[in-house]
Amino acid sequence: MSAATDPFVHPALFYRTDEEYLAGLVPFVLDGLRIGEPVAAALPTERLGLLESALGTEAAEVTLIDMTEAGRNPGRIIPGVLRAFADRHRRTHVRIIGEPIWAGRSDSEYPACVQHEALINTAFRSRMVTIVCPYDVRRLESHVVADALATHPLIWEAGHEQVSLRYAPDAVVARYNLPLDGTGGAASWTVRSAADLSGARRFAAAEADQAGLSRDRISDLELVVSELATNSLQHAAGACSLSIWAEADHVICESRDLGQIEDPLAGRRPPLDGQPHGRGLLLVNHLADLVRVHTTPDGTTVRAYFRLAGSDRPGPR
Amino acid sequence: MSLQAGVVEDVRDPGRYDHLCWAFEDAQEFRARAGCFLAEGLQLGEQVWYVGSGDVTALEDELRELPGMEQALHSGAAKADSIEAAYPTGTVVDPAAQVAAYARATAQAVAAGFTGLRVAADATALVRTPEQLDAFARYEHLIDRYILTAPFSAMCAYQRSLVGDGSIAALACMHPGASADATPFWLHATTQNGCAAAIGGELDLATRDLLRLALHRADLQPHNGELVLDASRVEFMDHRSLLQLVEHARSEGHMLVLRTAHPGPGLLIRALGLDRARVEIPA
Repeated sequence: MSAATDPFVHPALFYRTDEEYLAGLVPFVLDGLRIGEPVAAALPTERLGLLESALGTEAAEVTLIDMTEAGRNPGRIIPGVLRAFADRHRRTHVRIIGEPIWAGRSDSEYPACVQHEALINTAFRSRMVTIVCPYDVRRLESHVVADALATHPLIWEAGHEQVSLRYAPDAVVARYNLPLDGTGGAASWTVRSAADLSGARRFAAAEADQAGLSRDRISDLELVVSELATNSLQHAAGACSLSIWAEADHVICESRDLGQIEDPLAGRRPPLDGQPHGRGLLLVNHLADLVRVHTTPDGTTVRAYFRLAGSDRPGPR
Repeated sequence: MSLQAGVVEDVRDPGRYDHLCWAFEDAQEFRARAGCFLAEGLQLGEQVWYVGSGDVTALEDELRELPGMEQALHSGAAKADSIEAAYPTGTVVDPAAQVAAYARATAQAVAAGFTGLRVAADATALVRTPEQLDAFARYEHLIDRYILTAPFSAMCAYQRSLVGDGSIAALACMHPGASADATPFWLHATTQNGCAAAIGGELDLATRDLLRLALHRADLQPHNGELVLDASRVEFMDHRSLLQLVEHARSEGHMLVLRTAHPGPGLLIRALGLDRARVEIPA
């Protein structure tokens, strides 16, 4: 545990009731505001409303973010929510409440959520930031709570703080680096050279159109397909195999190549001026509603999910 | 074949493109395309020039066989010229001098009572070496700017088997219109207020080298410290292509402005946090 020397603090707040939620978070916010620290709260819609009401007039001093939109895809929470806020206030300690895991997260989303929680520790090492992650332990499944003990070095519960003895974030990233199977019957397209990219976009657009994806989201999908296949052409030996299919309320686009993503934070670092590489995956994270990655020395599979219209929440813009 | 912005389906219907690039397979195809292009000029009261390889007499014979051209040759409305006669073998074109020559010829045609000058040229012989190609691509952009200001139009034709697809694309992308599959994108002159050029088509990894060369060759002029491009015909732009444009503008000390109603470039600029580029919605 490096809490004594590292200014970065990353507790999970285990709560069972609204009262426990507010008892843990309201003092955290108010103490921060009192000593002049910038405070942000990125929470699911209804939790955000609860905290906002409890804060009263002080809520105006807090940056409030709806996590179901900004963090719909867990892969964009670090660059788009957490670092976006923390990087605006580099000279002072920053307080953020981030609740990326709620009871409605799907089985497809969960591995990306828990990897995100684990990678926060790498992304914010040595930063003057505290990120509190509330967990609704009454409604979340027990394995989710167990994972939170592995992704957070500290646990806040019922007014007490304790060190997590099961803290092992790298093992969590590896454990949820799960094979992505089941594309049987999907339409596919192989990109062998840059000259194939235009055709790949047209292929993806036609398939997504048939599946009922809106025109705006098809434009986003074309960009995602192009960025994924371009990454393959630039970083992996051999071709990129693209597949696309509809599943429940999503259109899913998959790229497979023979490369390996060595950097666990690839696509999760904010773009820095003068840094010409690594922006493709960042864009994919920005545009898709969910991104799943399975990467090994034998190859990498990336799946980008796009919610179909009529689903309960809008896609990211 | 899909219909793309800037792809010219048929030279008889070039629409707003007065400067088009045609990649042809054989001499017969060139003659047919040139014949259509020039016949349209005659109908518009223009003087028309047929410029190709070989000696002038042979070219006149070719022209005479095209519909309506015999009488035009006789009256002086149509003229044949040999590219080898005009340019000794190995000539590297001087872009500014070549534009000036066509400007003089256009003025003469107008003085002689024609509504303008129209040229269909097989320029294959002028782009055989890398040095020739580079100079000719620069010339293509300069003449493109001139064409917007004068009653002059041109069909620049290149034989695919002799020039090669890569060089064809490097030339075709400097035109507002081109035959199908000649180039995936275009960088051309525009009358749009304040715009240094217009850019269109699909920009991705396949156009990276072409775009770099085209930007360099077009020598775009900024406006009030901003490099403004009419991007309304951009069908696709990946983030690397956007960064290429931003970097090109930045290397000259300018901000990049893309004028387009499409959401794509703005989305990229916001997602990448680029502070040296912005989108301007056309009025």
